[in-house]
Amino acid sequence: MRSARQQSWIDAALSLAIAWGAGPCLAASTAADYLRDIKPVLHERCYACHGTLKQQGGLRLDTAERLLVGGKSGPAAVPGKPEAGSLLHRLTTDDEHERMPLEAAPLKPEQIAAIRAWIAAGAPVPPDEREEDDPLRHWSFQRIERPEVPTEAKTQNPIDAFLARKHVEHGLSPQPEAERSLLLRRLYLDLIGLPPTLEQLDDPRGYATIADELLHSPHHGERWGRHWMDVWRYSDWYGLGDQLRHSQKHLWHWRDWIVESLNADKGYDRMVLEMLAGDELAPDDPSVLRATGFLARNYYLFNRTTWLDDTIEHTGKAFLGLTFNCAKCHDHKYDPIDMADYYAFRAIFEPHQIRLDPVPGVVDFEKNGLPRAFDDHLDAATYVHRRGDPAQPDELKAIAPAVPAMLASFAPPVEPVALPRTAWAPATREHVRRDHRDEARRRIEEAERELAQASGTTARVAGAKLALAKAEQAKLEAVIAADTAALVAVDEVLAKAASRFEGEAMKAKAELDLLMLEGKDDEKKLETAQEALAKAEKKIAAGDTAYTPLRAARKALETPEHTDESYAATFPRHSTGRRRMLAEWMVSRDNPLTARVAVNHVWMRHFGEPLVETVFDFGRQAPRPEHDELLDWLAAEFMESGWSFRHLHRLMVTSEAYRRRSTQADADPATLAADPANRHYWRARSRRMESQALRDSLLQLAGALDPALGGPSLDAKADSSRRSLYFKQSRDERAPFLSMFDDADILQCYRRDESIVPQQALALSNSAISLGMAEQIAARLHAADPAADRGGFVETAFRQILARPSDAAEREACLDFWEAAAALEPVRQATDPEAAIRSRLVHALLNHNDFVTVR
Amino acid sequence: MKPANAPPMIDPGLARSLARRQFLHRAGLGFGGLALGAMLGRDGFGAEAARGRILDGRPQFAPKAKSVIWLFMRGGVSHMESFDPKPALNRYAGKSIAETPHADVLDPERRKRVRVVVVNDANGQQRHTIYPLQTGYRPYGKSGIEVSDWFPHIGSCIDDIAVIRSMWTTDDNHGAQVQFHSGRHMLDPKSPTIGAWVNYGLGTLNENLPQFISMGPRFFDTRDGHYLGPAYDAVKLKVDPKNPLDYAKPEGRLSDEEQRLGFSLVNRLNRLTVDRYPGDAALEARIRSYELAYRMQTAVPDTIRFDTESEETRRLYGLDREETRPFGEQLLAARRFAERGVRFIQIMHGDGAAGAWDQHSKLKEKHAELAMQVDRPIAGLLKDLKQRGLLDQTLVVFGTEFGRTPGSQGADGRDHHPYGFSVWMAGGGVKGGIVHGATDELGFHAVESPHYVTDLHATLLRQMGLHAHHLEVPGHKRLERDFGEVIQEIV
Repeated sequence: MRSARQQSWIDAALSLAIAWGAGPCLAASTAADYLRDIKPVLHERCYACHGTLKQQGGLRLDTAERLLVGGKSGPAAVPGKPEAGSLLHRLTTDDEHERMPLEAAPLKPEQIAAIRAWIAAGAPVPPDEREEDDPLRHWSFQRIERPEVPTEAKTQNPIDAFLARKHVEHGLSPQPEAERSLLLRRLYLDLIGLPPTLEQLDDPRGYATIADELLHSPHHGERWGRHWMDVWRYSDWYGLGDQLRHSQKHLWHWRDWIVESLNADKGYDRMVLEMLAGDELAPDDPSVLRATGFLARNYYLFNRTTWLDDTIEHTGKAFLGLTFNCAKCHDHKYDPIDMADYYAFRAIFEPHQIRLDPVPGVVDFEKNGLPRAFDDHLDAATYVHRRGDPAQPDELKAIAPAVPAMLASFAPPVEPVALPRTAWAPATREHVRRDHRDEARRRIEEAERELAQASGTTARVAGAKLALAKAEQAKLEAVIAADTAALVAVDEVLAKAASRFEGEAMKAKAELDLLMLEGKDDEKKLETAQEALAKAEKKIAAGDTAYTPLRAARKALETPEHTDESYAATFPRHSTGRRRMLAEWMVSRDNPLTARVAVNHVWMRHFGEPLVETVFDFGRQAPRPEHDELLDWLAAEFMESGWSFRHLHRLMVTSEAYRRRSTQADADPATLAADPANRHYWRARSRRMESQALRDSLLQLAGALDPALGGPSLDAKADSSRRSLYFKQSRDERAPFLSMFDDADILQCYRRDESIVPQQALALSNSAISLGMAEQIAARLHAADPAADRGGFVETAFRQILARPSDAAEREACLDFWEAAAALEPVRQATDPEAAIRSRLVHALLNHNDFVTVR
Repeated sequence: MKPANAPPMIDPGLARSLARRQFLHRAGLGFGGLALGAMLGRDGFGAEAARGRILDGRPQFAPKAKSVIWLFMRGGVSHMESFDPKPALNRYAGKSIAETPHADVLDPERRKRVRVVVVNDANGQQRHTIYPLQTGYRPYGKSGIEVSDWFPHIGSCIDDIAVIRSMWTTDDNHGAQVQFHSGRHMLDPKSPTIGAWVNYGLGTLNENLPQFISMGPRFFDTRDGHYLGPAYDAVKLKVDPKNPLDYAKPEGRLSDEEQRLGFSLVNRLNRLTVDRYPGDAALEARIRSYELAYRMQTAVPDTIRFDTESEETRRLYGLDREETRPFGEQLLAARRFAERGVRFIQIMHGDGAAGAWDQHSKLKEKHAELAMQVDRPIAGLLKDLKQRGLLDQTLVVFGTEFGRTPGSQGADGRDHHPYGFSVWMAGGGVKGGIVHGATDELGFHAVESPHYVTDLHATLLRQMGLHAHHLEVPGHKRLERDFGEVIQEIV
């Protein structure tokens, strides 16, 4: 049976054939023209509202048939009558409220002309045109089911089994295993971010044993910690002068948590839970609280909406591969996420704020403190912002916290979490009191020492300082006593005492200030001090119960107008449980995205290309990947192994696919012709080292690397031999050498760039680190075999730096260089010309393409 | 070298980044891009790319200008005391705006386009008491366009200048500096700056020099490429022949001869590696990048060495005076870079986080001092370009993030003013001796032909032979406003 539409298409084709005979000027628009010129335009400009995602006005435009059927207001087009349907009118009207696409540029005149011509030609419909798929049937929104591992190939590793099937299908012959030394270098760089030493290159043990050892090395956590720092947007704090505007001080605690978690092979599910809701899961465990640095990093002083927008966008992209950010001002154009979903997601984060918790032994938050999230405004309402404008909240309807409706079926309920006292009243922690008492005592001792050495006027000042220190100590004791009581029931007597001691301390401070101002001509300060004194005396006289409780945590300011004193010293006794709900939903076995996204990130960093190209967008813009079964098998295996990254790494690096040669030299010509882009992993892929791996490798080969783990971030310009991930990294602080090699963008870095620019050549040629390390590497290589001749040295240098032997032509080039260098005046004048040449030669090899490249 | 029969093969990782940047078969891009582009064109990859809308590194239509010298005054130059004199301010001095016949300028409806980052009493507020002009002004040239007395030398060039008195922006704080370059408000996601787009759209004219150079201080955003990638960031230069850019000179003992020998060994060894890894585009790009780096090491310092410049030229740029020398040197360097084919030279003036031109107080004293630093060198640049016949092909832009309030802040300052301010362009096919657009009598709102900052970008791109609308990459949607519209009246 042939439908009327198809008949009209055939008619049109016939009329075209006739028209063709009559000359091209009479050619009528055909179904083929529709497919070529019109459908792509409709797809780009119209489908978001008139397709499978939405059918505004009951209209769908994703097939020509649908277009002709039209919507509530009748057919969009009437074949042969361009002026009859609504489509052309709505595309061309001058009325901006009517013209489609709404609030966007109109279609181009030639696009409108094509539509007009097609309608005029009878709107021929192509045969078998398919509607857009139901968005919920998109591949990545389906539960991850473990596919059967193909059994036809004789291979141990399921990765290879899946790939082998494709190889057979496409007639591909994979490359053999890489030379062992190059393979070991690849393995070392991928797993610990450091190249193997000469000894390690000669390691006779089995490959799998070495891989396992590297997976247990503390450097493995540093290497992969840095990768995840990219994805999770690690940034140290920055602002303007002393004003903290972005991120948090001491965010390195979170970095250390990342490294330690990876080294302990903590499950990724647990890592996600801790990062999003560590404060609700383990409220009195600082080692877990560190994880919420993920949230603290998004802190922004000036604008809460910007702050939350960043949190929402990057929680979505990092863990779920969903671009929530596209649904902030309008419903998502491609994915089934609407504005209500966006603001429901925001509501999950709405109550949270950031604070620094006290760290044992430190009372000064400039020196140390633990940045962490906590729920503060438990009842803060979330409203949809009309058109994404925070000035236009839709206050008629408060939005409840929820995960996106399309995947909500397995979401757990939101259940409030009761917090222990140490969490909501950090001042009651044992160590806080001890630390504050120690500090008070230290100040008294300091003042006593000063007094003992003072005489005359300085003695008066020292005396006043001692009085102040003692008053502070007395106040502290009174406040602690009152706090303790207050947390049970308000105790008037203690509160009055605390109030009086506070007054005494204020008085002592004012008296000291007055004393310090004696003889100085500073009216303004004098006045302030006198006022303070009067205030203190008044407070003492009043004898009321108003006192300032011990402040043991520092909340990040909500706006620049606030000060620390704007906030209470204690925090809510409950957390809403919203973030815990979110995290549990994310790591549910039923969540189709979390494991796929994580596996894809790991795969990309071992194989050079991800399985899903758009690493942070698994939505409908991401087509079903070529290796979908492999991805799903890995994701299922990952989850069922307890979300073990170590297991995942082991699987990947022991696969044949990983171990292959990267070169296509000597490759099977048919394979090369059939899959030149290596989509089927028939060879390994070369990559450039990331900036950190590059610098760390220089230090490692020189034997100069300081292997110390963790701790506060190093000044970005410090001359340090620590690993590169420990340098400060923020908008304002970037280690100069690292920044030349596509260092991570702190705003978004789901994948590093691999640019090739001459500034990199200059940095590697001229930097102190490359020149200095070249000298040390050369000295080490020489010391290892002092008797080696020039050729012998060249050989060792190749092996150590490029992890392969040199060939005859390369040796000749190096020996020519040696001779030419020996003739240079500056070299001849060196104390040890041969040593100078060795170091120049090593320097040249460090600039070799195959040093910066992981082959 | 590469065997002749090797099939053209591109690593998909590289192809991805290339496709993303759409620079596949351009004749040259400068830096790595050049190396890649040239090589890929040779490998025939360009044919594939040519099916899409690919920029080939050449202008898309006949350009008027080859280079841009972009001068940006950080902090906010008072438009009323520079290029948009408002005698009415003297007339109404001391009165509140409400008392003048122009009370309607304060209508909230007319002021709502501003997006406030943070409410702040110290700045970004309207000030209601009219502050009189702190300097005089007079007409210059045949066109008789009025310029304030703080800019007499620029005034003397006015017949080559198109003044635009009707700019507006939406950030009332210094994030507007970034906005002036990217077209996006500070609260929006970061997006490439105009220099990066020019760098992206056009090939270089000189393989030995970077094609996008930045001099002077930056603060709010020190990057340009953003989603185009770091290869499109400006190369930061100092006018110091001994150390003009990062790592330009060895940071250790290494003689020139040793370095040359080292570079040639690297080159030889890398070329020997091509046989091991046939079709490795990154390897070939790296070979080229080392060749370029070596030439750049010489070419950059040579360009900022002024010993071949005459005394007269040096005087023209104010190199003989302490107050004008630092900026004058940058402008002279800019001319020399433009002469050698560098596409975009961006010079920021005015130190500090907010920028030196941010006169919340002491406007008269400070603006006069800052104008002194730039006035002579800028006029010198225009005259020098003209006498060398370069002005026609070099577009000079003078910009700032916003103007300043007609009302006074404190006793002697003006606050930020995003509703109307002035910029100018000269050379590169832009009409001279004309004024375009206008603010109202108080200098408050841009009322005649108002232009958002991206209109300036679109105009500049047009003069360079590029369609703003063709500058787009997949996955990064640009809004109509991001492209701007060409200011037809001045070209």
